Amino acid sequence: MPNSNLGLDFLARTLRTIGVVLLIFLPFGVYYFGTYTALAVFSGGVWGIVNLIFLSAVVRSAIRPEGIDTARLIVALLVKFPLLYLAGYALLKVPQFSPLNLLIGFSICLAVLALKALGRALLGLDKGPNKSDNLGEAVR
Amino acid sequence: MDYQSMLSLALPFGVSLAACGSGYGLGRAVGSAMEAIGRQPEAAGKIQTAMIIGAALIEALTIYALVVFFILQGKIGG
Repeated sequence: MPNSNLGLDFLARTLRTIGVVLLIFLPFGVYYFGTYTALAVFSGGVWGIVNLIFLSAVVRSAIRPEGIDTARLIVALLVKFPLLYLAGYALLKVPQFSPLNLLIGFSICLAVLALKALGRALLGLDKGPNKSDNLGEAVR
Repeated sequence: MDYQSMLSLALPFGVSLAACGSGYGLGRAVGSAMEAIGRQPEAAGKIQTAMIIGAALIEALTIYALVVFFILQGKIGG
């Protein structure tokens, strides 16, 4: 199993899964709940994906053994905090979008992330040294 | 004290409480992650991923509080 460790590729796979879930939801949402509701949920989800991307960029550049990557950290912080949060505020102020629907879209990201992590923990995929495990390689 | 006054006091208090709680939690999480990476630099990838998941969940608390603030903001005033 080449991608079985809880490494940074886990996040890339999770982001892909969230994108697929949102893309599947969009046509069904438009059909069953209406265009604006589905678009609000979709926008909330996309905002959550972008937020997660920049959050991981901040953590990767700030918390690493080689020391802080200052340039990347500053760029990620400048994009995440003023620009992304302004975009979120703009989404909240769109009259057709209900804040509750935006929140549901944002929660889809967290739900997928939490469920994938929980699934790995319950299945015990990260326990014990295996070939793709960084810690296992260090022990060996 | 009427409903409007109570709401106008409770909303900012709730948001600030959520911000304080998530700030404290995030600070502790980052501190522990730094310590863990310092002890085992080879496990940095795993620690970073766990840190990102935790940070996303902690940050969501503040965002939820903020959105609830915006939802209930319309009920203040008038």
